[in-house]
Amino acid sequence: MSSTVTATKTPLARLALHSTATCSVQATAYGKCILATYTDVTKDVCKEEFARFSVCLREAMRRKQ
Amino acid sequence: MLRSLARFAAVSSAPPNPNTLGPFQVFDRNVKRIQRDRAALREGSRTVDYVREEVADRMMERFMDIKRTFGTVLDLGSGSGHFTKLLEPERAKKSVMIDSSEKALHRDPDSEFEVQVERICADEENLLQIVEPNSQEAIVSCLSLHWVNDLPGTLVQIREALKPDGLFLGAMFGGDTLFELRTALQLAELEREGGIAPHISPMTQTRDISNLMGRAGFSLLTVDVDEVKVAYPDMWALMDDLGAMGEGNAILGPRRALRRDTLAAASAIYPVLHGQEDGSVPATFQIIYMIGWKPAPTQPQPLERGTGKVPLGDVL
Repeated sequence: MSSTVTATKTPLARLALHSTATCSVQATAYGKCILATYTDVTKDVCKEEFARFSVCLREAMRRKQ
Repeated sequence: MLRSLARFAAVSSAPPNPNTLGPFQVFDRNVKRIQRDRAALREGSRTVDYVREEVADRMMERFMDIKRTFGTVLDLGSGSGHFTKLLEPERAKKSVMIDSSEKALHRDPDSEFEVQVERICADEENLLQIVEPNSQEAIVSCLSLHWVNDLPGTLVQIREALKPDGLFLGAMFGGDTLFELRTALQLAELEREGGIAPHISPMTQTRDISNLMGRAGFSLLTVDVDEVKVAYPDMWALMDDLGAMGEGNAILGPRRALRRDTLAAASAIYPVLHGQEDGSVPATFQIIYMIGWKPAPTQPQPLERGTGKVPLGDVL
């Protein structure tokens, strides 16, 4: 994965990169959780999965300035 | 008694309520104009022409099916003239391009057009303030009517502006356009924030178009639907391109930007819900094509009821 992680400019572009490449495992886990309940989604139904995704994103954003 | 009634009536109608006077406003036309001006000035503006070029091409196929030559064609909401560029001098001598975004209108030089072009920067919603009634041979509109607030009124104006037996050919986004993005954003907002806000325009349905065209007084209607499906690497690329096309959100009302968390959540949901095997995510653009003619006595008319001579049962 590190080869795809290059220094991109805007914060949103970096968020885009990290959410799809760097943290793809956690992103997929969160997506699958939503898919399992998507006919009856309520607030925070996938809170734990998102928390793991969010932690990964935050660390990735901090690491690559 | 009468006086008090009159006063009551006067009082009750005094504060003009924007929701009851005139057509319902859905889109902020000013925001849309600014978005499209900015999009046209962007460096990569031409690289995101792919949807418009494809639709203009398919619209031209329908135009070529009409065996008639025109002196002037009015291209309503032309943008930078994707449809007009495909016009051949044998079919039309001149095109008048009307668009509210001046930058989009003047993006491409005259040398890219085969026919003579005239550009008018004006609001498509006020067509009859730009052209005289009964003055146009043909009006075309390629992917602009989906940002019009008053679609029924605009269609009526188009019919009014046409000469008898004049042609209207239009294409607009509608139906299930961007349903993947809409559902991904809604699920993300619902799960993260507990509620949803409009980020994708409400879309016109195909059956509504047939009704609206009929109501606007067009005859010999043809309405059909077609899809353009584009694969993107991820949701971010799609949103980037939509912005670059000038197709960003312009829904009227108190707007709040999407939170980063919600965006990240939506980008995770999108591929799981709609993704393809090769890892790309699809975006559907559904296009409604409409053809209508201004009524004229020379047009073929349906027969009177009950004048049929052959029983339908014999034919079937």
